[in-house]
Amino acid sequence: MEGISVAVCEILRYLIIHWKCETAGISKGVLLEGQLVISIEALNSKHQENALHCVTTIACASSSYGGLVPKKFLKEIRSILPGLSAKLRWTSEEASCSPDASKVSPFRVIFEVDEGPSMLMTDCLAIKDFLRRIIVVHPKIGFNFSVKVNGALSMEIFGTENEPIFHLLNGSALAVNHQHYVRPKCGVPEFLCSRIHPVPGHPVTVSIPDDVAGMGVLGELVLTPAAALCPCPKAFSNQENRISSVSMFLYGPSGLPLIPPGQEQPAAIFTELTCVIDWKKYHLCVGPSVDYSSDRDLVLPDVSYQVESQEGAQAQNVDPWGQTLLLFLFVDFHSGFPVQRMELWGVHTMLTARLGAVLLEHQRAVRDSVHIAVDQALEQHHQAAEAHRKLRASHAVAVSSIMSVVSGSTSSSFRQLCLQALQELPAQNDGAQNAEDTCERSGPERLPETSGQAEGKRRKRSAEETLGFRSPPAVSPPGAIPRRLEPTEASLDPKEWEAGPDRGRVPAPGSASPESGLEVPAGAERGREVDHPAVIKRRFTSVLVVSSLSPLCVLLWRELTGIQVRRGGAGAAGRARGEARGRLMPPFLWLSQAHPCSP
Amino acid sequence: MAFAPMGPEASFFEVLDQHRASLLATLRRGSHEPPCGGTRPTSSSEVLASIEHIIQDIIASLARNEAPVFSVDNRSSWENIKFEDSVGLQMVSHCTTRKIKSDSPKSVQNFALILKILSVIYKLVQSNTYATKRDIYYTDSQLFGSQTIVDNIINDVSCMLKAPRRSLHILSTSKGLIAGNLSFTEEDGSRVNCAGCSTAVAVPSNIQGLRNFITDAKFLLIVEKDATFQRLLDDNFCSRMSPCIMVTGKGVPDLNTRLLVKKLWDLFHLPLFTLVDADPHGMEIMCIYKYGSKSMSFEAHNLTVPAIRWLGLLPSDINRLNIPKSTLIPLTKRDQMKLDSILRRPYITCQPFWRKEMEIMTASKMKAEIQALTFISSDYLSRVYLPNKLKFGGWI
Repeated sequence: MEGISVAVCEILRYLIIHWKCETAGISKGVLLEGQLVISIEALNSKHQENALHCVTTIACASSSYGGLVPKKFLKEIRSILPGLSAKLRWTSEEASCSPDASKVSPFRVIFEVDEGPSMLMTDCLAIKDFLRRIIVVHPKIGFNFSVKVNGALSMEIFGTENEPIFHLLNGSALAVNHQHYVRPKCGVPEFLCSRIHPVPGHPVTVSIPDDVAGMGVLGELVLTPAAALCPCPKAFSNQENRISSVSMFLYGPSGLPLIPPGQEQPAAIFTELTCVIDWKKYHLCVGPSVDYSSDRDLVLPDVSYQVESQEGAQAQNVDPWGQTLLLFLFVDFHSGFPVQRMELWGVHTMLTARLGAVLLEHQRAVRDSVHIAVDQALEQHHQAAEAHRKLRASHAVAVSSIMSVVSGSTSSSFRQLCLQALQELPAQNDGAQNAEDTCERSGPERLPETSGQAEGKRRKRSAEETLGFRSPPAVSPPGAIPRRLEPTEASLDPKEWEAGPDRGRVPAPGSASPESGLEVPAGAERGREVDHPAVIKRRFTSVLVVSSLSPLCVLLWRELTGIQVRRGGAGAAGRARGEARGRLMPPFLWLSQAHPCSP
Repeated sequence: MAFAPMGPEASFFEVLDQHRASLLATLRRGSHEPPCGGTRPTSSSEVLASIEHIIQDIIASLARNEAPVFSVDNRSSWENIKFEDSVGLQMVSHCTTRKIKSDSPKSVQNFALILKILSVIYKLVQSNTYATKRDIYYTDSQLFGSQTIVDNIINDVSCMLKAPRRSLHILSTSKGLIAGNLSFTEEDGSRVNCAGCSTAVAVPSNIQGLRNFITDAKFLLIVEKDATFQRLLDDNFCSRMSPCIMVTGKGVPDLNTRLLVKKLWDLFHLPLFTLVDADPHGMEIMCIYKYGSKSMSFEAHNLTVPAIRWLGLLPSDINRLNIPKSTLIPLTKRDQMKLDSILRRPYITCQPFWRKEMEIMTASKMKAEIQALTFISSDYLSRVYLPNKLKFGGWI
């Protein structure tokens, strides 16, 4: 017997196809409108233990069900859902006792089934997935979905009516708020751009295979791809970004999902759909995604790929900072094609079963069209990546320049003020860290974390930071230890550090000696302080402290500019931290190894 | 003492002397106004303190959890430039600023490069060493990308620190030449006599350090192009018109050439004339000497010499001398745009004769190089054109 989700989705499909046929005469591109109420009322079953007796009602709040004839509807639905045939009732004429009775409810279908609680939960999730899939392409259709289990009511409203919409050439619409496709990221208070920017490919005509044509479905179909990056690359200009996953959404005629909800992705579909993109062209290495969790408020893709990192190491989880390439494939009838309801139904069934084969038959044309869309969508990504590269490189230059001035200064008051300002940083960093912790823990799919675990994690994180930024031997280059203390500005330059340890021991001709490097040259008329050995000594200490705080400076830059560091994993952000560390550690290391008090 | 070449007889300089007297009179009238704004030579400690102050601000804004921002006076807008007849183009005291943000991909590179240049200047000032802009570019040519970027950032930094380039220990390579009745002592003590050699002397790079200027020159001629300058040298123009000084900046003048012209004016109050092509580009170069440029407007007081006059080649001379059209060049679209932009500038209002000349150029749609005069005779410029102009006051 069919579950509640299958029954609800089939009835909704039937209704939407019916509406589509009703409006087909008006004009192409007119968006379907309607408000549907779906309510499931479950009470402990009297006949069966550990089961709930569920009464599911699907009602249309308006009269847009048009010329739906109850008898015909029941007959056709019963043929689609034979298991439910005895329990399905059309109750538009009956007086209802539901709380929604005050509303006009000319169309009302009720069916009753007994289900286990876990099955009911799965069914509810599948229905929600289906509704989300519908609303992103039917912005004017809204759903009111409520579940009442033993008196406990939960209600959710689905709809995108007042949201920005992207209209495709084939008449389809697409909701462009990124929140439908990705979860808001922790640590990013607000995206600069909250939309996706779909790029349509050109429509490709695909003919229905001959062996299918015999089933009474004839003619040609049009496939329109659309690609978008989510979140918008603009939002990532301050961060390392890479494409971490690809999600494909398949929509058949009337904007209905091709793959029924709750159905596991068949391996064949995955293989067949892989052919629509030449992944190598984009230097992407994809594998099937293992993340099928439906417990999030996102539109679930039909097929999801996980992009492996360039090193070949597949990340365990979807990269929280990565972008998702969304690929929509809309299949519809060729314009002017006379469409009957049962034909639409037939095409849906055919496409669900044979989409891969249809795509393979027109592989080249489909691939070209998809590539055009993906090329343009990735262009935004490349621009954002370039902007990020620029930011990262510039910040490294800025930080090293600041450090150069701070460490080279002979003004004690200046160094002191810098030190004071830098000392204020740790508290703020801790604050940011706590905020991140909170955000991570409040994630919708996150399991409750015990305080012990959280504490352990914080401790680990703190240790990581200490190891990463504060522990000098971790990245100490060999041969560095014998270097003499020479805190001239030049020697703080990471590049010179890389030039080899010998530079430190043998000063270049004309360069300052360790002590003279700190002295104010005779020509510089500085009326502040005369460099006395005691002053130099004090300055060494000061430089050391200031330099040791440089990682904090980097951390703050990171916080401000959004360069995020991944904890664990060999992600790109981890590499970013490594690079920053690589650039900034040498001077710090060197200063800490040469004791400050040895003049 | 070197043999003084015989110049024209004393009566030749009568008009020039009158012009000089009138310039001095104007100067005396305006001498009560103290110069305001601009940069002044800054001591090394002041420069270091300014840089430290900027760094401190950045660290402070980081501590406040804000992305650091530089505010630089917006010199690209004419709204921030005021024109004063006695100074030329200078920045208004409360000009609008543009922000160079550290968190925007558009400006972050500029932000980082400003910091980089600040750290380089800091090092130079601390160690009391000097570097040219080219030197700085080559320290990390990959990072800077192009010399123009370095030049612009140095101008920005100079404006930001309110210090002339010399105080920042940044030198610009001199490309200018000087010849004629002038001698001076360089900072290292060596004496330079510009009249002593047949070829010209390169404009020194440290103008501030030059001392003991000696000249009897009756005027100073600024020649736009090196080719014309060399031609005049070959024609012994300096000896014929002795005593005089000739300077060329070889096109758009560098800072040192402008500083030298300014210094000579400040010291001797000589009549100064420009010999430029009768085209918009030549006019632009003359305007840079006379009124300064937008980008260096913050240093106008040290660079501009509003006493400069336009000697030639005037567009009206082209008609007057019956120079055939075949030797002229049609104005391009770009020339016309340049001409229009000059016409819109504030200083054109107090130069009615210039406006007239520009209208002639616009009407004829033709421009002429100085070399157009060779059509009349190969030495027409040095033997007839310039002497006549100087003798009879043919400048505007």
